[in-house]
Amino acid sequence: MHLIIHDMGPEYDEYFKGKADKIISANGKYAPCQGCFGCWTKHPAECFMKDTLYTVCRDVGRSDILTIITENCYGAYSPQVKNILDRSIGDSTPFSTYRGKQMHHTLRYGMGERIEVFAYGDFTDDEEKTFTEMVQRNAYNFGYREGRFTRLETKEDIL
Amino acid sequence: MKTLLINGSPKKKRSVSGFFLDMESLFIGGERKKETLRNKSDHERILTKLDDTDNVVFCLPLYVDGVPSHVLYFMKDMEAYCREKNIHVNIYVISNGGFIEGRQNAWLMQVFENFCKRSDNTWCGGIGIGGGVMLNVMRILLVVYAGILLLNIVINGVAEGNWLPVEAFQNFGQQAFMTLFFSCGVIFYELLMAGSIRKGKVFGVRFTRAMMPSFLFILVADIFFVITSIFQGGIFRGWLSKKE
Repeated sequence: MHLIIHDMGPEYDEYFKGKADKIISANGKYAPCQGCFGCWTKHPAECFMKDTLYTVCRDVGRSDILTIITENCYGAYSPQVKNILDRSIGDSTPFSTYRGKQMHHTLRYGMGERIEVFAYGDFTDDEEKTFTEMVQRNAYNFGYREGRFTRLETKEDIL
Repeated sequence: MKTLLINGSPKKKRSVSGFFLDMESLFIGGERKKETLRNKSDHERILTKLDDTDNVVFCLPLYVDGVPSHVLYFMKDMEAYCREKNIHVNIYVISNGGFIEGRQNAWLMQVFENFCKRSDNTWCGGIGIGGGVMLNVMRILLVVYAGILLLNIVINGVAEGNWLPVEAFQNFGQQAFMTLFFSCGVIFYELLMAGSIRKGKVFGVRFTRAMMPSFLFILVADIFFVITSIFQGGIFRGWLSKKE
Protein backbone atom coordinates (compact mmCIF):
# COMPACT_ATOMS: atom_id res chain seq x y z
CA MET A 1 0.00 0.00 0.00
CA HIS A 2 1.20 3.52 -0.82
CA LEU A 3 0.09 6.29 1.55
CA ILE A 4 0.56 10.01 0.95
CA ILE A 5 0.29 12.54 3.78
CA HIS A 6 0.51 16.19 2.77
CA ASP A 7 -0.15 19.62 4.26
CA MET A 8 -0.30 21.53 0.96
CA GLY A 9 -3.97 22.32 1.27
CA PRO A 10 -7.22 20.69 0.07
CA GLU A 11 -6.78 22.22 -3.40
CA TYR A 12 -3.96 19.72 -4.01
CA ASP A 13 -6.00 16.61 -3.07
CA GLU A 14 -7.21 16.26 -6.65
CA TYR A 15 -3.63 16.26 -7.96
CA PHE A 16 -2.59 13.38 -5.67
CA LYS A 17 -5.67 11.30 -6.46
CA GLY A 18 -4.64 8.13 -8.27
CA LYS A 19 -0.99 8.51 -7.32
CA ALA A 20 -1.37 6.45 -4.12
CA ASP A 21 -3.80 4.02 -2.50
CA LYS A 22 -4.74 6.56 0.14
CA ILE A 23 -4.26 10.33 0.53
CA ILE A 24 -4.44 12.07 3.90
CA SER A 25 -4.71 15.84 3.87
CA ALA A 26 -3.08 17.23 7.03
CA ASN A 27 -5.49 20.08 7.70
CA GLY A 28 -5.01 20.28 11.48
CA LYS A 29 -8.71 19.64 12.17
CA TYR A 30 -8.02 16.87 14.67
CA ALA A 31 -6.84 16.56 18.24
CA PRO A 32 -3.22 16.10 19.28
CA CYS A 33 -2.10 12.82 20.87
CA GLN A 34 -2.84 12.69 24.59
CA GLY A 35 -0.07 10.19 25.39
CA CYS A 36 -2.47 7.75 27.09
CA PHE A 37 -1.07 4.57 25.41
CA GLY A 38 -4.68 3.40 24.98
CA CYS A 39 -3.89 2.50 21.34
CA TRP A 40 -1.52 -0.12 22.81
CA THR A 41 -3.09 -1.27 26.02
CA LYS A 42 -6.84 -0.61 25.92
CA HIS A 43 -8.07 -0.77 22.31
CA PRO A 44 -5.04 -1.67 20.15
CA ALA A 45 -4.67 0.20 16.83
CA GLU A 46 -7.54 2.57 17.69
CA CYS A 47 -7.49 6.00 19.30
CA PHE A 48 -10.00 6.90 22.01
CA MET A 49 -10.58 10.23 20.22
CA LYS A 50 -13.13 9.52 17.50
CA ASP A 51 -12.03 12.10 14.95
CA THR A 52 -10.61 11.62 11.43
CA LEU A 53 -7.39 10.12 12.86
CA TYR A 54 -9.30 7.47 14.85
CA THR A 55 -7.60 4.56 13.00
CA VAL A 56 -4.85 6.38 11.11
CA CYS A 57 -2.20 4.13 12.69
CA ARG A 58 -3.57 1.21 10.63
CA ASP A 59 -3.02 3.14 7.38
CA VAL A 60 0.52 4.08 8.39
CA GLY A 61 1.26 0.55 9.62
CA ARG A 62 0.01 -1.09 6.42
CA SER A 63 1.80 1.26 4.04
CA ASP A 64 4.83 -0.18 2.25
CA ILE A 65 5.65 3.27 0.96
CA LEU A 66 4.85 6.32 3.06
CA THR A 67 5.26 9.63 1.24
CA ILE A 68 5.09 12.81 3.31
CA ILE A 69 4.99 16.31 1.85
CA THR A 70 5.36 18.89 4.59
CA GLU A 71 6.32 22.45 5.29
CA ASN A 72 9.60 22.77 7.19
CA CYS A 73 9.19 23.70 10.85
CA TYR A 74 12.60 24.16 12.54
CA GLY A 75 13.98 21.08 10.77
CA ALA A 76 10.91 18.98 11.49
CA TYR A 77 7.43 18.28 10.13
CA SER A 78 4.76 20.95 10.24
CA PRO A 79 2.55 20.64 13.36
CA GLN A 80 -0.35 19.45 11.17
CA VAL A 81 1.71 16.54 9.78
CA LYS A 82 3.46 15.80 13.09
CA ASN A 83 0.04 15.51 14.71
CA ILE A 84 -0.79 12.63 12.34
CA LEU A 85 2.53 10.86 13.05
CA ASP A 86 2.04 11.32 16.82
CA ARG A 87 -1.40 9.69 16.52
CA SER A 88 0.10 6.75 14.54
CA ILE A 89 2.07 4.99 17.28
CA GLY A 90 -0.61 2.29 17.42
CA ASP A 91 1.07 0.86 14.30
CA SER A 92 3.47 -0.74 16.77
CA THR A 93 2.87 -2.86 19.86
CA PRO A 94 3.90 -1.85 23.37
CA PHE A 95 6.60 -4.54 23.32
CA SER A 96 10.17 -3.48 22.69
CA THR A 97 13.04 -4.74 20.59
CA TYR A 98 16.33 -3.51 19.14
CA ARG A 99 16.43 -1.87 15.70
CA GLY A 100 19.46 0.08 14.56
CA LYS A 101 21.17 -0.92 17.85
CA GLN A 102 18.58 1.02 19.87
CA MET A 103 15.36 0.24 21.67
CA HIS A 104 12.19 0.54 19.57
CA HIS A 105 8.71 -0.95 19.66
CA THR A 106 7.93 -4.15 17.77
CA LEU A 107 5.81 -3.61 14.67
CA ARG A 108 2.16 -4.60 14.57
CA TYR A 109 2.02 -4.72 10.76
CA GLY A 110 5.61 -5.65 9.86
CA MET A 111 8.34 -3.79 7.97
CA GLY A 112 7.62 -1.33 5.15
CA GLU A 113 9.76 -0.53 2.12
CA ARG A 114 10.49 3.18 2.56
CA ILE A 115 9.46 6.50 4.01
CA GLU A 116 10.01 9.38 1.64
CA VAL A 117 9.78 12.96 2.87
CA PHE A 118 9.60 16.08 0.71
CA ALA A 119 9.89 19.32 2.69
CA TYR A 120 9.25 22.81 1.34
CA GLY A 121 9.50 26.32 2.73
CA ASP A 122 12.29 28.44 4.15
CA PHE A 123 15.30 26.34 5.28
CA THR A 124 18.57 26.97 7.11
CA ASP A 125 21.47 24.55 6.61
CA ASP A 126 21.09 23.33 10.22
CA GLU A 127 17.40 22.65 9.66
CA GLU A 128 18.13 20.63 6.54
CA LYS A 129 20.69 18.55 8.47
CA THR A 130 18.24 18.00 11.35
CA PHE A 131 15.45 16.97 8.99
CA THR A 132 17.65 14.59 6.99
CA GLU A 133 18.71 12.79 10.19
CA MET A 134 15.18 12.86 11.60
CA VAL A 135 13.81 11.00 8.58
CA GLN A 136 16.38 8.23 9.12
CA ARG A 137 15.28 8.03 12.75
CA ASN A 138 11.63 7.84 11.70
CA ALA A 139 12.47 5.02 9.28
CA TYR A 140 13.85 2.96 12.19
CA ASN A 141 10.99 3.93 14.47
CA PHE A 142 8.14 3.22 12.05
CA GLY A 143 9.90 0.16 10.61
CA TYR A 144 10.82 1.19 7.06
CA ARG A 145 13.89 -0.29 5.40
CA GLU A 146 14.83 3.06 3.93
CA GLY A 147 14.32 6.74 4.71
CA ARG A 148 14.71 9.41 2.01
CA PHE A 149 14.64 13.16 2.45
CA THR A 150 14.32 15.76 -0.31
CA ARG A 151 14.30 19.52 0.16
CA LEU A 152 12.02 21.40 -2.20
CA GLU A 153 12.51 25.04 -3.09
CA THR A 154 8.76 25.57 -3.41
CA LYS A 155 5.87 23.24 -2.76
CA GLU A 156 4.93 23.33 -6.43
CA ASP A 157 8.20 21.44 -7.14
CA ILE A 158 6.42 18.25 -6.08
CA LEU A 159 3.90 18.59 -8.91
CA MET B 1 16.59 36.00 37.45
CA LYS B 2 12.99 35.13 36.63
CA THR B 3 12.23 31.70 35.22
CA LEU B 4 9.15 30.47 33.39
CA LEU B 5 8.73 26.69 33.54
CA ILE B 6 6.49 25.18 30.86
CA ASN B 7 5.13 21.67 31.24
CA GLY B 8 4.54 20.43 27.67
CA SER B 9 2.85 17.16 28.59
CA PRO B 10 -0.71 16.76 27.27
CA LYS B 11 -1.60 14.73 30.37
CA LYS B 12 -3.76 16.35 33.03
CA LYS B 13 -2.05 14.78 36.04
CA ARG B 14 0.88 12.62 37.16
CA SER B 15 2.86 13.30 33.99
CA VAL B 16 6.55 12.44 33.76
CA SER B 17 7.28 15.96 32.47
CA GLY B 18 5.46 17.49 35.44
CA PHE B 19 7.58 15.39 37.81
CA PHE B 20 10.90 16.38 36.20
CA LEU B 21 9.82 20.03 35.98
CA ASP B 22 8.82 20.13 39.67
CA MET B 23 12.25 18.73 40.55
CA GLU B 24 14.01 21.34 38.39
CA SER B 25 11.87 24.10 39.89
CA LEU B 26 12.94 23.00 43.37
CA PHE B 27 16.63 23.13 42.40
CA ILE B 28 16.43 26.51 40.63
CA GLY B 29 14.89 28.50 43.47
CA GLY B 30 14.31 32.24 43.03
CA GLU B 31 11.34 33.74 41.22
CA ARG B 32 9.55 31.06 39.18
CA LYS B 33 6.26 30.63 37.38
CA LYS B 34 4.89 27.29 36.24
CA GLU B 35 2.59 26.88 33.24
CA THR B 36 0.94 23.91 31.58
CA LEU B 37 0.84 23.74 27.80
CA ARG B 38 -1.80 21.25 26.65
CA ASN B 39 -3.54 22.94 23.72
CA LYS B 40 -3.96 26.17 21.78
CA SER B 41 -6.14 27.77 24.47
CA ASP B 42 -3.03 27.92 26.68
CA HIS B 43 -0.91 29.90 24.18
CA GLU B 44 -1.99 33.46 24.94
CA ARG B 45 -1.76 33.02 28.70
CA ILE B 46 1.77 31.59 28.50
CA LEU B 47 3.02 34.06 25.88
CA THR B 48 2.14 37.08 28.04
CA LYS B 49 4.35 35.60 30.79
CA LEU B 50 7.33 35.92 28.41
CA ASP B 51 7.20 39.74 28.78
CA ASP B 52 8.68 39.48 32.23
CA THR B 53 11.07 36.52 32.28
CA ASP B 54 14.77 35.82 31.73
CA ASN B 55 14.74 32.04 31.36
CA VAL B 56 12.27 29.59 29.88
CA VAL B 57 12.48 25.89 30.75
CA PHE B 58 10.46 23.54 28.55
CA CYS B 59 9.84 20.06 29.90
CA LEU B 60 8.14 17.75 27.41
CA PRO B 61 7.78 14.16 26.24
CA LEU B 62 9.52 12.82 23.14
CA TYR B 63 6.94 11.92 20.48
CA VAL B 64 8.09 10.02 17.37
CA ASP B 65 11.71 11.24 17.62
CA GLY B 66 10.66 14.86 17.93
CA VAL B 67 8.59 17.60 19.51
CA PRO B 68 4.87 16.78 20.10
CA SER B 69 2.62 18.58 17.62
CA HIS B 70 0.83 20.71 20.23
CA VAL B 71 4.22 22.10 21.35
CA LEU B 72 5.25 22.79 17.73
CA TYR B 73 2.10 24.92 17.34
CA PHE B 74 3.13 26.87 20.44
CA MET B 75 6.73 27.33 19.22
CA LYS B 76 5.46 28.93 16.01
CA ASP B 77 3.29 31.35 18.02
CA MET B 78 6.17 32.02 20.41
CA GLU B 79 8.51 32.85 17.52
CA ALA B 80 6.01 35.41 16.20
CA TYR B 81 5.41 36.85 19.69
CA CYS B 82 9.13 37.20 20.47
CA ARG B 83 9.75 38.97 17.17
CA GLU B 84 6.78 41.31 17.64
CA LYS B 85 7.70 42.24 21.22
CA ASN B 86 11.47 42.07 20.72
CA ILE B 87 11.81 39.47 23.47
CA HIS B 88 15.06 37.57 24.03
CA VAL B 89 15.15 34.82 26.65
CA ASN B 90 17.42 31.92 27.59
CA ILE B 91 15.85 28.60 26.61
CA TYR B 92 16.48 25.27 28.36
CA VAL B 93 14.80 21.94 27.58
CA ILE B 94 14.20 18.74 29.53
CA SER B 95 12.83 16.00 27.31
CA ASN B 96 11.96 12.47 28.29
CA GLY B 97 11.45 9.47 26.07
CA GLY B 98 9.97 6.06 26.81
CA PHE B 99 13.01 4.32 25.33
CA ILE B 100 15.98 3.72 27.59
CA GLU B 101 18.57 5.61 25.52
CA GLY B 102 18.62 9.30 26.44
CA ARG B 103 20.38 9.98 23.11
CA GLN B 104 17.13 9.32 21.27
CA ASN B 105 16.21 12.88 22.36
CA ALA B 106 19.07 14.38 20.30
CA TRP B 107 16.88 15.40 17.35
CA LEU B 108 14.30 17.06 19.58
CA MET B 109 17.16 19.13 21.01
CA GLN B 110 18.27 20.08 17.49
CA VAL B 111 14.75 21.25 16.67
CA PHE B 112 14.77 23.52 19.74
CA GLU B 113 18.20 24.84 18.79
CA ASN B 114 16.89 25.68 15.30
CA PHE B 115 13.84 27.32 16.89
CA CYS B 116 16.06 29.54 19.07
CA LYS B 117 18.00 30.73 16.01
CA ARG B 118 14.76 31.55 14.18
CA SER B 119 13.18 33.34 17.12
CA ASP B 120 16.40 35.13 18.17
CA ASN B 121 16.43 33.56 21.62
CA THR B 122 19.47 32.02 23.30
CA TRP B 123 19.78 28.25 23.10
CA CYS B 124 21.23 27.13 26.44
CA GLY B 125 20.88 23.37 26.00
CA GLY B 126 19.01 20.67 27.81
CA ILE B 127 18.78 17.18 29.24
CA GLY B 128 17.58 14.21 27.18
CA ILE B 129 16.26 11.51 29.50
CA GLY B 130 15.71 7.85 28.59
CA GLY B 131 13.24 5.64 30.46
CA GLY B 132 11.50 8.59 32.09
CA VAL B 133 8.18 6.74 32.43
CA MET B 134 9.79 4.14 34.66
CA LEU B 135 11.24 6.79 36.99
CA ASN B 136 7.81 8.40 37.24
CA VAL B 137 6.19 5.04 38.09
CA MET B 138 8.85 4.43 40.75
CA ARG B 139 8.25 7.77 42.46
CA ILE B 140 4.48 7.12 42.46
CA LEU B 141 5.15 3.66 43.95
CA LEU B 142 7.36 5.29 46.58
CA VAL B 143 4.34 7.26 47.80
CA VAL B 144 2.40 3.96 48.00
CA TYR B 145 5.27 2.40 49.98
CA ALA B 146 5.25 5.41 52.31
CA GLY B 147 1.55 4.75 52.92
CA ILE B 148 2.27 1.08 53.63
CA LEU B 149 5.02 2.13 56.07
CA LEU B 150 2.60 4.39 57.94
CA LEU B 151 0.02 1.61 58.06
CA ASN B 152 2.65 -0.78 59.44
CA ILE B 153 3.62 1.71 62.13
CA VAL B 154 0.00 2.15 63.23
CA ILE B 155 -0.83 -1.60 63.16
CA ASN B 156 2.35 -2.60 65.02
CA GLY B 157 1.94 0.27 67.47
CA VAL B 158 -1.68 -0.50 68.33
CA ALA B 159 -1.39 -4.31 68.31
CA GLU B 160 2.04 -4.81 69.87
CA GLY B 161 3.00 -1.43 71.28
CA ASN B 162 5.94 -1.30 68.86
CA TRP B 163 5.87 2.13 67.23
CA LEU B 164 9.23 1.59 65.51
CA PRO B 165 8.85 -1.53 63.30
CA VAL B 166 12.44 -1.90 62.03
CA GLU B 167 11.57 -4.31 59.21
CA ALA B 168 8.96 -1.94 57.75
CA PHE B 169 11.46 0.93 57.83
CA GLN B 170 14.09 -1.29 56.16
CA ASN B 171 11.67 -2.21 53.36
CA PHE B 172 10.79 1.42 52.75
CA GLY B 173 14.47 2.40 52.89
CA GLN B 174 15.29 -0.20 50.21
CA GLN B 175 12.57 1.15 47.91
CA ALA B 176 13.68 4.74 48.47
CA PHE B 177 17.31 3.80 47.77
CA MET B 178 16.37 1.99 44.54
CA THR B 179 14.30 4.96 43.34
CA LEU B 180 17.17 7.33 44.10
CA PHE B 181 19.70 5.03 42.44
CA PHE B 182 17.71 4.62 39.20
CA SER B 183 17.08 8.41 39.13
CA CYS B 184 20.58 9.56 40.11
CA GLY B 185 21.57 10.57 36.54
CA VAL B 186 18.48 12.76 36.19
CA ILE B 187 18.93 14.32 39.64
CA PHE B 188 22.62 15.05 38.94
CA TYR B 189 22.01 16.75 35.58
CA GLU B 190 18.95 18.65 36.82
CA LEU B 191 21.11 20.03 39.67
CA LEU B 192 23.81 21.04 37.18
CA MET B 193 21.28 22.66 34.86
CA ALA B 194 19.69 24.55 37.76
CA GLY B 195 23.12 26.06 38.49
CA SER B 196 23.41 27.22 34.86
CA ILE B 197 19.86 28.65 34.92
CA ARG B 198 20.57 30.62 38.10
CA LYS B 199 23.62 32.18 36.43
CA GLY B 200 21.92 32.55 33.04
CA LYS B 201 24.67 30.46 31.46
CA VAL B 202 24.78 27.93 28.65
CA PHE B 203 24.38 24.36 29.97
CA GLY B 204 24.96 22.36 26.79
CA VAL B 205 23.13 19.18 25.77
CA ARG B 206 23.48 16.17 28.08
CA PHE B 207 21.87 12.76 27.99
CA THR B 208 21.00 10.43 30.82
CA ARG B 209 18.67 7.51 31.55
CA ALA B 210 17.10 5.29 34.16
CA MET B 211 20.18 3.60 35.62
CA MET B 212 19.71 0.01 34.51
CA PRO B 213 20.92 -2.14 31.59
CA SER B 214 18.72 -1.81 28.49
CA PHE B 215 17.88 -5.56 28.25
CA LEU B 216 16.56 -5.44 31.82
CA PHE B 217 14.64 -2.23 31.11
CA ILE B 218 12.99 -3.85 28.07
CA LEU B 219 11.97 -6.84 30.20
CA VAL B 220 10.50 -4.59 32.91
CA ALA B 221 8.71 -2.43 30.29
CA ASP B 222 7.23 -5.52 28.60
CA ILE B 223 5.94 -6.90 31.92
CA PHE B 224 4.50 -3.46 32.77
CA PHE B 225 2.61 -3.27 29.46
CA VAL B 226 1.31 -6.86 29.72
CA ILE B 227 -0.10 -6.19 33.20
CA THR B 228 -1.57 -2.83 32.07
CA SER B 229 -3.10 -4.47 28.98
CA ILE B 230 -4.69 -7.22 31.08
CA PHE B 231 -6.29 -4.63 33.37
CA GLN B 232 -7.38 -2.35 30.51
CA GLY B 233 -8.55 -5.21 28.30
CA GLY B 234 -6.32 -4.52 25.30
CA ILE B 235 -4.73 -7.95 25.46
CA PHE B 236 -8.12 -9.49 24.66
CA ARG B 237 -9.40 -6.85 22.23
CA GLY B 238 -6.37 -6.48 20.01
CA TRP B 239 -3.68 -8.96 20.90
CA LEU B 240 -5.54 -12.23 21.02
CA SER B 241 -8.35 -11.27 18.63
CA LYS B 242 -8.16 -10.87 14.85
CA LYS B 243 -5.81 -8.05 13.81
CA GLU B 244 -7.56 -5.08 12.19
